[in-house]
Amino acid sequence: MEFYTQNGMKRPIRLCESTRQFAYDSLNRKYGLDTQRVEAVKLDNVENYTQLPLIHRYDVAIMKIATEAPIRICNGERISGSATLGMAITHKAPATYLGKSTFGGISHLTVDFETVLKGGINAIKAKAEKAYEKYKSTSKEPFLKSCLNCIAAFEQWHGRYLAELKDKEEYKANYNNLMRVPFNPAQNFYEAVQSIWFTFAFLRLCGNCPGIGRIDYLLGDYLKKDLENGSITIDEAREILAHFFIKGCEWINGSSDAPFYGSGDAQHYQNLVISGVDSQGNDVTNEVTYLVLDIIEELGIGDYPTTARINKNTPQQLIRRVAEVIRLGGGIVAVYNEDTVIEALKNDGYDEIEARGFANDGCWEVQIPGKTYFSYVPFDSLQVLQKETLGEYASELKFNSFEDLYQKYLSHLRLAVEKIYLRETSQEHSGWKSEEPCTVISLFEEGCIEKGQSYMDGGPVYNTISPHIGGVADTVNSLYAIKKLVFQEEKVEFSEFMEILKNNWQGFEPLRQYVLNKYTYYGNDNDEVDDLYVRLISDFADICVSFNGKCRYNFPAGISTFGRQLEWASSRLASPYGRKEGEVLAANCSPSPNTDKAGATAIIKSYCKAPHVKLASGSALDIRLLPSVVSGEDGIDALAGLLRGFCLLGGFFMQLDVADASLLREAQKHPNEYKTLSVRVSGWNARFITLNKEWQDMVIEQNEH
Amino acid sequence: MSIETKLRVTEIQRFCMHDGPGIRTTVFLKGCPLNCQWCHNPEGRKSSPELLFYESKCIYCGGCADVCKNGVHIIKNGHTLSRNMCTSCTDCVEICPTCALEICGKEMTVDEILEIVEKDRPFYGDNGGITLSGGEPFFQKETISLLKASKERNLTTVVETCGYADMDILRSAAPYVDLFLWDLKDTDEKRHMEYIGVSDKPILSALDEVNKMNGRIRLRCILVNGVNTIEAHYKNIAEIASKINRLDGVELLPYHAYGGSKMVSLGYEDNGKKDWVPSTDTIAYAKSVLKENGVSVI
Repeated sequence: MEFYTQNGMKRPIRLCESTRQFAYDSLNRKYGLDTQRVEAVKLDNVENYTQLPLIHRYDVAIMKIATEAPIRICNGERISGSATLGMAITHKAPATYLGKSTFGGISHLTVDFETVLKGGINAIKAKAEKAYEKYKSTSKEPFLKSCLNCIAAFEQWHGRYLAELKDKEEYKANYNNLMRVPFNPAQNFYEAVQSIWFTFAFLRLCGNCPGIGRIDYLLGDYLKKDLENGSITIDEAREILAHFFIKGCEWINGSSDAPFYGSGDAQHYQNLVISGVDSQGNDVTNEVTYLVLDIIEELGIGDYPTTARINKNTPQQLIRRVAEVIRLGGGIVAVYNEDTVIEALKNDGYDEIEARGFANDGCWEVQIPGKTYFSYVPFDSLQVLQKETLGEYASELKFNSFEDLYQKYLSHLRLAVEKIYLRETSQEHSGWKSEEPCTVISLFEEGCIEKGQSYMDGGPVYNTISPHIGGVADTVNSLYAIKKLVFQEEKVEFSEFMEILKNNWQGFEPLRQYVLNKYTYYGNDNDEVDDLYVRLISDFADICVSFNGKCRYNFPAGISTFGRQLEWASSRLASPYGRKEGEVLAANCSPSPNTDKAGATAIIKSYCKAPHVKLASGSALDIRLLPSVVSGEDGIDALAGLLRGFCLLGGFFMQLDVADASLLREAQKHPNEYKTLSVRVSGWNARFITLNKEWQDMVIEQNEH
Repeated sequence: MSIETKLRVTEIQRFCMHDGPGIRTTVFLKGCPLNCQWCHNPEGRKSSPELLFYESKCIYCGGCADVCKNGVHIIKNGHTLSRNMCTSCTDCVEICPTCALEICGKEMTVDEILEIVEKDRPFYGDNGGITLSGGEPFFQKETISLLKASKERNLTTVVETCGYADMDILRSAAPYVDLFLWDLKDTDEKRHMEYIGVSDKPILSALDEVNKMNGRIRLRCILVNGVNTIEAHYKNIAEIASKINRLDGVELLPYHAYGGSKMVSLGYEDNGKKDWVPSTDTIAYAKSVLKENGVSVI
């Protein structure tokens, strides 16, 4: 039973054997495959199903899911509740009518677990009953009726677990906890963990994929009290919390297409956030923070992608602990520089106290948990340049200067954002959204019950649609190459350059190599090109902000590609900075592949020059480090130094990954894509590809051990 | 010495992790008085600039041949070089579109060097900073100015040295060095003469001198299989280590043959010797002998 690391280091063992076995089984698909056994409940025999109003059909589906989903108690589990219908893994409500799926699921939000813990579901129920009375006989009545129906379904599912666990000695604690939570307020740490899990499991059972949010903030006080009064030990608490992590792996099924085509089997938006300041500005870091890191370190579970909120004053103890876990590889723990994030939220209109409570949407885009409707609309800035501004490389285009070209590009960028605004606010779009049943999620979003409006229908306190610009590095590098080659060095006429690009550089390989190798692009801490990157991001953010206040939504700017650089590749033409058509280019805020030559610190510096305080949705930097670079005590120092520098320089979100030898093999096959990959060879750093093959093989073999 | 003092630099590498504590920027200085047969950084030996050629990057476009006034480059069935004709004018380097050609070694002022070192200041924290490596940093007396200026800017300083240096330079520089990474290559004078070309006596007296000046020292000992992988050498290391007042441990550096790859880029034969690479058992044995003799091995 080995939990894999990227750097060959052994993971520490703190958990008991049975918990480790449970984790091992879950990570190795045992429960995910079991979940697939039953795909969905069938609505075929529901009387007059198609005649029912949409929202009633939804309520029927939810009740049927709650009543018929298989109950699963995993051997030895410390907390109970399982989302056991296979279709939910694909982010749909697992209820079919005549073989077809019926309702979608909601993701990209973190729900209000704080109310669940402190007030219990009963508090939500009381609120819904009150609102039902208030809105009776209005157009809002059906939604509030649906709220009550969905709570009844939750009660139904809860009752089935109680019946299953009753009188089973082994699960006495589970039973006792569930007798209280989640319907009543949690009284201690163990109940609190069960309360969050059971609610989360029900949300997921119904096809939704929320994030967890600030788990140490939510659980810290419970644990503190229990430790003080001696009702639990820290080791017991770790076991219980570990089961929360392991249960979170119950959808792992080994499919590369679950939930989405090609994206693997772990994309369920169940992010969690640790550390950071509370609403008063005090650090919330507590025992739970460190337990989370212990568990990730030991089990390597990346299925709750975890982000630590750090700032330039975060105690060294936490920074080093985060570094120790990052070092094992897998990129499991990322960081927010919360100073920047809070400033960005304030700039977007949130008050400071609210902003300090930020978590994310289950991915890294920030939001206020339990209060925010969020969606994002991605677009490829490189294609805007290639297709709009440069008219797919029309040689008859004329620009008097680089500035002329840049202004033209900005006008097209504005149109791209406006298109998002127009579509999202169109009658057709808002009509569809207000009709879409999503009551289960709406129960846990402040504002929905109060206003009598669903999550999709403007119910939450904050409603945001974030335009996300992608391919920024590629666009900046392209603009920069044109500026240098055509307008400054005048090596090629503009019209001729357009022809060359249209022909995918054919016959101009030396020129392509020149452009690719001789200019310094984004990611090398070079002000000349970085200034252009800063300017583009700033202008984009200003464009987004200009749409705020025109409708119910705010339009916080964000920068992302996630994996879209793959799907965009086939639509992209040759790029002015030396890339051929169809190449897979930059991810998120990372430099374009093959253009960063000055190391990780230079990448962070370039990235941090952007005005991230204008990007209220977020901007992610991914950096891959070699295991040898972060080995030993020096390696922890190095990672800690990177995290500190990232905060001092005003970064937003960073994910440091530690890659293994298989990457070196890739580098050997495709050397041009790994130009700056350095390897440590006792006493010096060699750029891997400048070694010849024989030496490369030796390095690979060394790293295998 | 004025601030215009210039040093010959091979390369400045940011984000170096294992050249002293924390994140460091390593300045490789050009020129070395020794001639170690196992040299890992052969581009640092000569003081004068050298042309590096990476054949794997060459696309045989012929740009270098067109621009070279001295006929160094011949593109015919590949790319051959007449290096003896090269004046290091850099015309070919500038025209080469793939950066297959590089001139190694340029003169930089202290300020120019430190401007690059300062770029990573936000990452240094309390322990990161500048490391001087080479070549041999003390081969250039201007190194003293660089170290002094580094301390004035409140950077921590680490110097990797072979210890074969002008005593006056070493004495002047030592107060500005936070940590010496001292390459102790061999402790047998005869072997030292044979493989390194000089006696080890001056190196040991330099070490003694720096120790008297209360310098903090980490011994870095290369293990060359079949050359110095013998118990007597390990015991000598322990003996030397025991006399160092502020010892920062002993680090063992197993020989590797990768320097040979660089030799090829410089236009020499690949001189890497695989049978010099010590086995893991050999390394473990060296460690155990050192530990038995009271040495803390890093």
